[in-house]
Amino acid sequence: MAPLHTLQVEVNGQDQVLSVQPRQHLVDFLRNELGLKGSHLGCEHGVCGACTVEVDGRIVRGCLTLAIQTQGCKVRTIEGLSNDGDVRDLQESFIRNNALQCGFCTPGMVMAAKELLERKPDATREEVREWMSGNYCRCTGYHAIVDAICETLAERAAKSQKVKA
Amino acid sequence: MKSPPFDYCKPAALGEVFALLGELGDDARILAGGQTLMATLNMRLSEPSILIDITGLSELRGIRVQGDRLYIGALATHTDIEQSPLVAQHAPLLAQAAPHIAHRAIRNAGTWGGSIAYGDPAAEWPCCLSALEGTIHLQGRAGVRRVSATDFFQDLYTTALEPGEIVVGADVPLATAADWAGFDELARRHGDYAVAGLGISARFQGTVAHRVHLSFLGIGPIPLRARRTEALLAGKTLDTASIEIAVASLKSELDPLPDLTHTADTKRHLATVLARRLLQAAHASRAAMPA
Amino acid sequence: MDLTGEITLDAPRRQVWDALNDPGVLAACIPGCESVEVVSPTEKTARVMIKVGPVRARFSGRILLSDIVDAESCSMSFDGSGGAAGMARGKSEVQLFDEADQRTRLRYTVQASVAGKLGQVGGRMIDAAAKQMADQFFAAFRAQLAPDAGEVKASSVVADLPGPALTSDQSRSRGAGTTHASEHGLRMKWFTLGALSCAIVIWLGSRFY
Repeated sequence: MAPLHTLQVEVNGQDQVLSVQPRQHLVDFLRNELGLKGSHLGCEHGVCGACTVEVDGRIVRGCLTLAIQTQGCKVRTIEGLSNDGDVRDLQESFIRNNALQCGFCTPGMVMAAKELLERKPDATREEVREWMSGNYCRCTGYHAIVDAICETLAERAAKSQKVKA
Repeated sequence: MKSPPFDYCKPAALGEVFALLGELGDDARILAGGQTLMATLNMRLSEPSILIDITGLSELRGIRVQGDRLYIGALATHTDIEQSPLVAQHAPLLAQAAPHIAHRAIRNAGTWGGSIAYGDPAAEWPCCLSALEGTIHLQGRAGVRRVSATDFFQDLYTTALEPGEIVVGADVPLATAADWAGFDELARRHGDYAVAGLGISARFQGTVAHRVHLSFLGIGPIPLRARRTEALLAGKTLDTASIEIAVASLKSELDPLPDLTHTADTKRHLATVLARRLLQAAHASRAAMPA
Repeated sequence: MDLTGEITLDAPRRQVWDALNDPGVLAACIPGCESVEVVSPTEKTARVMIKVGPVRARFSGRILLSDIVDAESCSMSFDGSGGAAGMARGKSEVQLFDEADQRTRLRYTVQASVAGKLGQVGGRMIDAAAKQMADQFFAAFRAQLAPDAGEVKASSVVADLPGPALTSDQSRSRGAGTTHASEHGLRMKWFTLGALSCAIVIWLGSRFY
């Protein structure tokens, strides 16, 4: 078996130092070594988006990232994002719009949407649909998810208008 | 599925990379963004003994103007290129193509160099490099080589890379005011591998197309330049008549490879749809410019 | 996946046929081939390392020959397992035709399917990859034949005969896969006919003079 490597990584604001097998991907590391079960595995080859996590401020496919590659990085999972309160409004909008049923895709959806809210605050509905097309849902039929994100975009835009005024 | 076991290292210098490749050959795989490699390993479609992580090599980073070229280092991510003001200004074709690459999470990790080194027939960067007649920079123990895009992409997943070499970057000519660039692709769902795609780089004098490069992806095993059709468009205004001549020419010039879901005829048809759309857009753009 | 192709080789039909059946030649020509073993005249096993893009998959497979028409055509069915990567199976047909100047036209058709992960992930590439492998195989095969072409020309008296000299019925009755025996038999047949016709001409001639 290949030798273990020492991994030093900040996860949800906490420094972690652990020995990892090089082949262990980030989501297996988060779930199995750190007990953070919020990140899910669907396809394990980068297509479904259920594994979406944040590394150094950017969303990535956790299943296509080796744990060892996050050496010295800041990782945030849905647990951390939720605790930080960054997307409280988005999460409430999801609930209001019934944008989750089984909830399996939801952490990935919220992580992906978070980056949209940050990077494309004036996204149109079409742009939201395109952005979110990297995350699969088997339950909702997607419209409720898109509705929830658009509502949050609109709310935030209104709020920043108010602030300007 | 879980990857098979492998070892991992992250060299601090390029020389170490070449030494390892020389020693281990194909048993070692280069890891940059890993968006293709990790999917392959997770599905156990490859079982290397070690991954060589090259993301620590700062000389492979950066997007900068170098003389009359825009140089993009191998480690530039698709998002870096998508968001770069230098790319938007000097290589707008790349800025147009970037949002078509997979999805945001993949663009945040996948790299310019990785896409070029694999040369997937449906990949956007090889198609754009072919349209812009860019140059790929390779490096191995023996030093740096520069290969034109035309010579670099040779056959299905076969490039000019020799064993022991890696892609360190690639450059494209700087766009001028006389240039027009357009990119579009057709996929069943946004972010899927494209069924057909087209990158056009054209130089105009007023509304007359001086030279036109039509580079197709997803049609053949490598980016396909429709040179016969390009020759027909040279010196013409891209009005309806010229576009129809071009479309007719493409129908006979293109000989697409079918795939599991699309016949050669379908691909040929989709290629002409893209050609029409982009050539019309080019014409409209030039016609709208002040004389 | 369906693939058909035709190439012309600078070697006579018998030599092409023998080369196609030679495990050493196959091992040298199949891209990524690690070994070919003969189990019987109609069965071979092979190990091939498939390298397409990022994929490295080692396939172990079996090739079964059938419908053999000596030096003319045969069908091959193959099935292979790539371990975790998936499985491949298919059929192919090869036909050889004489061309002028001691050359042979080879026509092949392949139907294949790939199952498992390789098929799922690589599905859109299968046609292109198969074509590339076929092109590589025949380029190597052509090179294998080239150094011998001069040598074999002199001795291939049998192959020079008009034809396909035998109907498929006749060759089947001789038995599949026999090479030297049928060559010899054919030579004997024509020699006998030649001798007989000479004898008849001489006898007729003697009648009139």
